[in-house]
Amino acid sequence: MLAWLNGLLLRRQKRKLKEPGFEFLFNEEVPGSYVCFDCETTGLDPKKDKIVSLSAIKIQGNQVLTSQSLNLLIEQEGLIAAESIVVHRIRNIDVVEKESSSARLMTEAQAIKEFLEFIKGSTLVGYYLEFDIAMVNQVIKPWLGVNLPNRQVEVSALYYDQMVRLAKRSGQQGLQQPNIDLTFDKILHKLKLPNLGQHDAFSDALMTALIFVKLQQDRN
Amino acid sequence: MAIEQQAEFLQQIPPFGLIDPSDLRQAALSMDVIYLPTGAVVPLLGDEKSSELGASAYLYFVIKGVIAEESQGLVVGRYSVRGYFGERNVLKMQNATALLKSKEMANSDSVFRVSEEAILYRMPAAVFLELFQHYEDFQQHFNTNIVDKLNAMHHAVQTTTSTEVMMDTVCSAPIQPLVMVSDAETLQVAIQKMVEYKTDACVVALHAKTSFNDPKESGKANEVKYGIVTSTDILKLIASGHTELLQQDLASSGLANGPLLTVHEFDYLFNALLKITRFQVDRLIVRSDTGLVGFLTLKDLMSLFANQSGLALLKVDKAESVNDLHAVAQQIDQLIENLNRKGIKTHYIAKLVNELHRKMIRKLVDLLLPEELQAEVCLIVMGSEGRAEQVVRTDQDNALIFSNELSKKAQEQLEIFADSFTQAMITIGFPACPGNIMLSNPVWRQSQSQFSENVREWFDHPNHESFMQIAILFDAEVVHGHSDWLLALKRKLQRRMADNPIFLRHFAKAVIQFETPVSFFGGLRTEKTSGTESIDLKKGGIFPIVHGVRCYALECKIQPTNTHWRIKALIDLGVFKESFGIELGETLNFLNTLRLESMLKQVNQLDSEIDSFSDVSKDARAVPNNYIDVSDLSHLQQDLLKQSLNVVETFKKRVTKHFKLHEML
Repeated sequence: MLAWLNGLLLRRQKRKLKEPGFEFLFNEEVPGSYVCFDCETTGLDPKKDKIVSLSAIKIQGNQVLTSQSLNLLIEQEGLIAAESIVVHRIRNIDVVEKESSSARLMTEAQAIKEFLEFIKGSTLVGYYLEFDIAMVNQVIKPWLGVNLPNRQVEVSALYYDQMVRLAKRSGQQGLQQPNIDLTFDKILHKLKLPNLGQHDAFSDALMTALIFVKLQQDRN
Repeated sequence: MAIEQQAEFLQQIPPFGLIDPSDLRQAALSMDVIYLPTGAVVPLLGDEKSSELGASAYLYFVIKGVIAEESQGLVVGRYSVRGYFGERNVLKMQNATALLKSKEMANSDSVFRVSEEAILYRMPAAVFLELFQHYEDFQQHFNTNIVDKLNAMHHAVQTTTSTEVMMDTVCSAPIQPLVMVSDAETLQVAIQKMVEYKTDACVVALHAKTSFNDPKESGKANEVKYGIVTSTDILKLIASGHTELLQQDLASSGLANGPLLTVHEFDYLFNALLKITRFQVDRLIVRSDTGLVGFLTLKDLMSLFANQSGLALLKVDKAESVNDLHAVAQQIDQLIENLNRKGIKTHYIAKLVNELHRKMIRKLVDLLLPEELQAEVCLIVMGSEGRAEQVVRTDQDNALIFSNELSKKAQEQLEIFADSFTQAMITIGFPACPGNIMLSNPVWRQSQSQFSENVREWFDHPNHESFMQIAILFDAEVVHGHSDWLLALKRKLQRRMADNPIFLRHFAKAVIQFETPVSFFGGLRTEKTSGTESIDLKKGGIFPIVHGVRCYALECKIQPTNTHWRIKALIDLGVFKESFGIELGETLNFLNTLRLESMLKQVNQLDSEIDSFSDVSKDARAVPNNYIDVSDLSHLQQDLLKQSLNVVETFKKRVTKHFKLHEML
């Protein structure tokens, strides 16, 4: 029933698509193929802020294919908010293509186009993915007439389920809702994953991908 | 971006640091991240599908977790953080003529199984092979012998960390200009020159007939001789009133002291400091390969060390109580850790530390032994301390030889001294000897003739214990008092050995007493206790080398006690080929380094445990053991350990053959 409803919604969305060149977004990819992505932005309001950098990494089974990652920097019209610079450490002068970096600098439209071609119909994976999706949607909605139709996996939700399952198995369940810390660093720590320390789009996407792979593996 | 992090990660892994940053970045870009749960097997070849298209192999680097290499059911290696594997497979495949065969070959090889869930970087074989072909020194790393690998590792550690002044070369210190006069000149001229160059010493080139103040040195060799006149000498001369000597030529005034204490300009600064403190002088003359260069003064040297750990050296002299010495001992521990972290060879660390230990013991004698008895005794350190090979203080082996003519009352005084000495040593941080080989034990506090009698006794009644006693006495060195007494004992020991060749063969048997922990296939054989896999380095490698070399030294009547010096002497005598001797020495160095690292780790752990168990055992210092945990070792270290143990095995075979041990079993 739910699958049917989803299918219906998807088909309605597809009809709204303005650019036929992007129909591939609606074609589901090989099962087990995921793309983890993360963006750094000028601020925290999807309505008015812009994407500064974007990284997407393919995941296949237990492999995080960093060698096939997409790393983009986006040319800015406005200035990056000071409070965001503190988080992602991308200053205004950093938004230039550097020889030492693998990230390429381009316009927003070009970047999103490359991004869509990179993800195709893959399921998207992220940490607080909703925000990143909203940032992308804000660009593509006026242009393509649709939001990102891809299926989405929220790692913090996966993690939460896992913790609840473990708590139940060890007999700690009770009437109380278990108190689970969902901060990024805490999840990494709890799952014994290395913290790369740096908060840029690529590192975050990579760590998120590892969280996903590990939780996926534990479930099987 | 994090690609730089991947490149940095690679850079830290020898030999990948040899690669240019731009190529390294390209290599980093080609890497994927793989997660594998415990128990999984790492696929050395690509997926079934892709390998059909043309065998694709991989090199893996461990980001986190532990991978065990299994061969025919045995664990032969472990790889943890920054370890890498798969390179043998890749290189082998490249050499294989037929590509089709490569898969079978890989299958017949080891299996890499995850023993603690792991995250790995995976690099495609093609990328690795390109680096391999492009960089010659990188390539060499994969086909060099053990000595080169060890040196490369020491070098790598040394260059990546900042340098401690101690390990700088002499020529980097401020060197005062050389002032030299001929011995035909007068003292007056020498003083004028010293004033002109603002130095406080002057080298005197001695011609033909000049004799030194020190009669012992004057007879030696016929090289160009030098003496030295210092401002202190001049002050003494003026104080004595013999000012007429000022106008006399230096050759006949006999003012110049010799021989010069020199240090090579490329020697380590700590060696210079050691020399200065050992001979209690204020300066050394710096020499180059071609001649003398200048003066290195204690004052300049100390200004360099400033607040550094080198100061511990001088504090020993200033110590006035057992507590002061205890404080110095703690600084020494710190120093050991620092030096080791900087990649200094354990042999050098041991040299420095033992020099300090002996100074401390000398100081202790000064503090505790009544003055009238100081000329009546000879205090010796034995065993590992005698060989100057003890780094972390694990025990104390010492003895006291006293004059035959000592009165009963004086002997009682000595007993009081011995007890307080041993107690003070324990306080300072030398744990008591478990075999009670300490001068507080009357067996190890005897007169010259009684000791001599003991030696005879040991030879007449050979058993396990007497063998051990001979071994530790043969390694003894004098710290305080009559060195000729010990020499006489050692001579007797060697004479008895020579008279009775069969005895030495029995003595040598201990070399093969323990099995070397390598398996037939060249893997490590570990002891498994409560989940950790460990190896006893002392039994497995260090003891066989030390004892084997000791046996050769006894046979060849070699005086030095340090194993490295003995090896050097054996090379000089032509008993060991130079290449073999160097390999043996480096192997011992490596094993000692591993043991030192493990001991430092244990001491830190044990100390913190003691802390947490309140004050109950405040004085008890943790005594570390000789085991190392194999899973703590990096891939390179494990590789080297295997090769080292193979060297030990070769040496054992040599000893077995030389002393015909097989005939005696």
